[in-house]
Amino acid sequence: MIGRAVRNIAVVVLALLWLVPTYLLIVNGVSSVHGFTGTARWFPNSFGLFDNVGKAWSTAQFGPAMINSLVYAVVSGGLAVLIASLAAFAVVAMPSRRPTMWFWVIYAGTLFPLQMFLRPLFSSYAKLNLYDTKLGLFIIYTAMCIPFAFFVVRNYLASVPRDMVEAARIDGAPWWRVFASVHLPLGRPAMAAAFIFQFVWVWNDLLFGITLTFSPGARPLMAALAGLQGSYSTVGPPVVLAGALVVSLPTVILFFAFQRLFVSSLRTNI
Amino acid sequence: MATAVKTRGRTPIAERLTSGLFLLPAALLVTALLTAPFAATIYRSFFDDRFIHQSFAGIDNYRRMFSDTAVLKSLLNTLFWLIGTVVLPIGLGIAIAVMTSAIKWGRIARLAIVLPYAISGSAVAVVWNFMLQSDGAINKALTSFGLGGHAWLLNWPMNTIVMIIANAWQSTGVAVILFLVGLQAIPAETIEAGALDGAYGWRRFRHIVFPQLRAVTVVIVGISLVNGLKAFDLIWVLSQGGPARSTETLAVSMYWETFVLQRPGSGAAVAVVLTVVVIAVSWIYLRRQLRQSY
Repeated sequence: MIGRAVRNIAVVVLALLWLVPTYLLIVNGVSSVHGFTGTARWFPNSFGLFDNVGKAWSTAQFGPAMINSLVYAVVSGGLAVLIASLAAFAVVAMPSRRPTMWFWVIYAGTLFPLQMFLRPLFSSYAKLNLYDTKLGLFIIYTAMCIPFAFFVVRNYLASVPRDMVEAARIDGAPWWRVFASVHLPLGRPAMAAAFIFQFVWVWNDLLFGITLTFSPGARPLMAALAGLQGSYSTVGPPVVLAGALVVSLPTVILFFAFQRLFVSSLRTNI
Repeated sequence: MATAVKTRGRTPIAERLTSGLFLLPAALLVTALLTAPFAATIYRSFFDDRFIHQSFAGIDNYRRMFSDTAVLKSLLNTLFWLIGTVVLPIGLGIAIAVMTSAIKWGRIARLAIVLPYAISGSAVAVVWNFMLQSDGAINKALTSFGLGGHAWLLNWPMNTIVMIIANAWQSTGVAVILFLVGLQAIPAETIEAGALDGAYGWRRFRHIVFPQLRAVTVVIVGISLVNGLKAFDLIWVLSQGGPARSTETLAVSMYWETFVLQRPGSGAAVAVVLTVVVIAVSWIYLRRQLRQSY
């Protein structure tokens, strides 16, 4: 059938077109910067990935930036999930006056463009000596991660039967023990999912990185990549591309390892 | 909130205090770092650009926005992004999902298209900048086929258009995944019933498949609209909004006004307008969709 052939060809062409940027990223990122003639390369001729990454490491302070981002993502992501889970538990299981109001107080934070937060944060950080410090970024990343983690964990914990809570309460368990022995173990899948999302979010953040930091000591990875891109012509394209390649690996691995998770979250997001 | 406790009013003070303790860290952090800056930006947008002793400026910042040619172009670019981020990922996404779902090796083709979704906006900008340079990969390929190169990033509106295409390269994967989920949810009987009536190929897609993808299309359009309005990383790393502020969208203009030109009042006004646009677009869109689905 002609229709089927046309369709197959269309799919092959689209897939190949889609692979072109990724292919060029890899070919030119691993090509040696010394053999680079100034124009883009379509075929590999030499292997210089480690040299390139080394150069990115030294010119753009990639090493410290990578460690910074890893620590930001793990600590802020983890802390945010814990804080959000406590709040989700309170809203779902505990007798509180206005659970809906509390839900919106916490959830409203992420509905708006980040541009609304930047300038006031920048000025208060400058006043409080938090500008260009690791602590400053830990705080804002944790705050940014709370609303969505809260949303995910709350939806999940809402399905915990009330009988379990009441049984534990009748046995005289204090609330923190109900949380630790009922909701924490039961909610683990949702908490893990929320953590992975927030890890990726912090890892990929550029806006807070360039707004609230300045020196290599506190600067996260995407801000360092933007800096490397700024010195595109001095360090040479292969170095910048190697940088882009290295920063992408962790999120690509996470995405394909947890693809199902990302898909199901997309569906519940709106 | 189905799990709301029915005993309100009778809740002992001690219980309420404990629940407050569980809520406090989250509420405090979000209020101090997100809600308060949000309110401060709205407030700031009504004062002039001076750093100290600002005076009340009414709606001057807003009025000036609409006479500033750079910001007007940014508004126009934002509109382009809005259209481009909806039309391209939706059109390509539905086509790719439908075509690959019928092919055994479609899974492999999809992998190629979904892969960029896992890459950060900053890395996407690096790759596309590399391809679009005057001596970059695309021009090299074009000249080897005997076609002339093009200064992709230097002239408006071409530079904005190629950035929207770069964005589509990254975000079409999400649309493909979601449309695929939607396709799998379509009952086989409806397709079979259509086949009995002679509906194949385009007619089957148009009259049987597409109407059943409505719900998922609503979700994807919603995601795309908001992402298009918020796009920042890609533009900032690729061109910093340049050359001559020609590729800015509102999200970039806010950063430019506030932190490069050091005009905090004007920057705040741009941020507020962006927020109003985000809310208005989501509101109009969702309200229309919700009304139609009843």
